[in-house]
Amino acid sequence: MKCNQIKEKFSDFLTGELDKNVREKIQEHITVCSSCREELENLSAIWTKLEVLPEEQPSDKVRTRFYAVLDQYKQNQDRKTVRPRKERFSIGWFRHWIPARPAFQFSIAALLLVVGLAGGYFLRPGWQRKGEIVQLRQEVHQLSRITAVSLLQQESLSEQMGGIRWSSRLSQENRASLADFLRTLNLDISAISPSRNNSIAQSEFMQSLSEQASPVVEIALTFVKHF
Amino acid sequence: MDKTNDNELMEQVSAGKVEKLAILFEKHHVRLYNFFLRLTGRRNISEDLVQEVFIRILKYSSTYQARSKFLVWLYSIARNTHVDHLRKRKDEVPLDKQWYEMESTEPSPAEKAEKSQEVVWLGHALGKLPLKKREVLILSRYQGLKYKEIAELFGCQIGTVKVLVHRAIKELGKVYFELSGGTAL
Ligand SMILES: [Zn+2]
Repeated sequence: MKCNQIKEKFSDFLTGELDKNVREKIQEHITVCSSCREELENLSAIWTKLEVLPEEQPSDKVRTRFYAVLDQYKQNQDRKTVRPRKERFSIGWFRHWIPARPAFQFSIAALLLVVGLAGGYFLRPGWQRKGEIVQLRQEVHQLSRITAVSLLQQESLSEQMGGIRWSSRLSQENRASLADFLRTLNLDISAISPSRNNSIAQSEFMQSLSEQASPVVEIALTFVKHF
Repeated sequence: MDKTNDNELMEQVSAGKVEKLAILFEKHHVRLYNFFLRLTGRRNISEDLVQEVFIRILKYSSTYQARSKFLVWLYSIARNTHVDHLRKRKDEVPLDKQWYEMESTEPSPAEKAEKSQEVVWLGHALGKLPLKKREVLILSRYQGLKYKEIAELFGCQIGTVKVLVHRAIKELGKVYFELSGGTAL
């Protein structure tokens, strides 16, 4: 190896990062090359000399201040995580009606949907046609709200998104289709019962329900099929 | 020592378990303090800088990339913190003049006095080095960083780091030789 190739290895020589082979080559070289030997000796001397700069201990102030900062940070963090949870639960009286576990929330939403539909069907004969639609619309609207709220209460983002979609659907363009839906229900409630024969309305209804890609609706669908 | 390694701990901090930072603090703050002490020669400033580094770690914990080595990340924050500090105190005493305000020592054995003198010379010599050379020397000599890690930290080739270390030591030796009146090495 030439002198400049040898000198390139000096930094590694100092930290001991060289394999035995290269180390031996350097040692061989410096026995015959005084220039390289002198340089390596000087470098090693100052590298070793750096030992005298002692490692010192910082004062206790450093530790005290660090833990104060950490505590403060944790408190802020807790406050931040508690607040949105508070908002989530401040849906008012609704909250008390909704159990904490998602599985129960789904079941209840599904059950209410079925009860609502059945109620609408059985109570129909005694009502004015117009009043009936209003009443049914309110019921379904309320059920949808429960569904939306129960979805919004879910931990998983995708389910929450489902809830947001659901509630926005409710408030906007689907008012019209809700009316259609109710009219279908009103004219032929048999659509939801497989024992009756209006297969077109039934399949349309089932399809419109299955388009709501929510587990709650899926459960409701299963109930409805056995209604 | 804790079995969980630094990278895993920092990932946990990053995920919100900030209390885990205490383990990293206990493990690294003395070394970090000495990094700043050798860089600045000032005890009070070094303590403030350690404090600032850990505040920044908390602040930027969510940006920690699991794949990067914690030590490299720590020292990149430390370097930035130091540079920001230098910008703020531009108009103050030149660095090589502010080295280690040595406490006035009690009458001590000659050997101890000699050692103290060496420390002062070395400190001053380090302070005369350009920042990058000083950093590379401290990181490789005291902080236990491999050249590869320093290269990652500086964003350069490993060969560049080796050349820098070589030149830094050479320069330090020269300054030290001058300061000591050409007697000690
Ligand atoms: Zn040579």
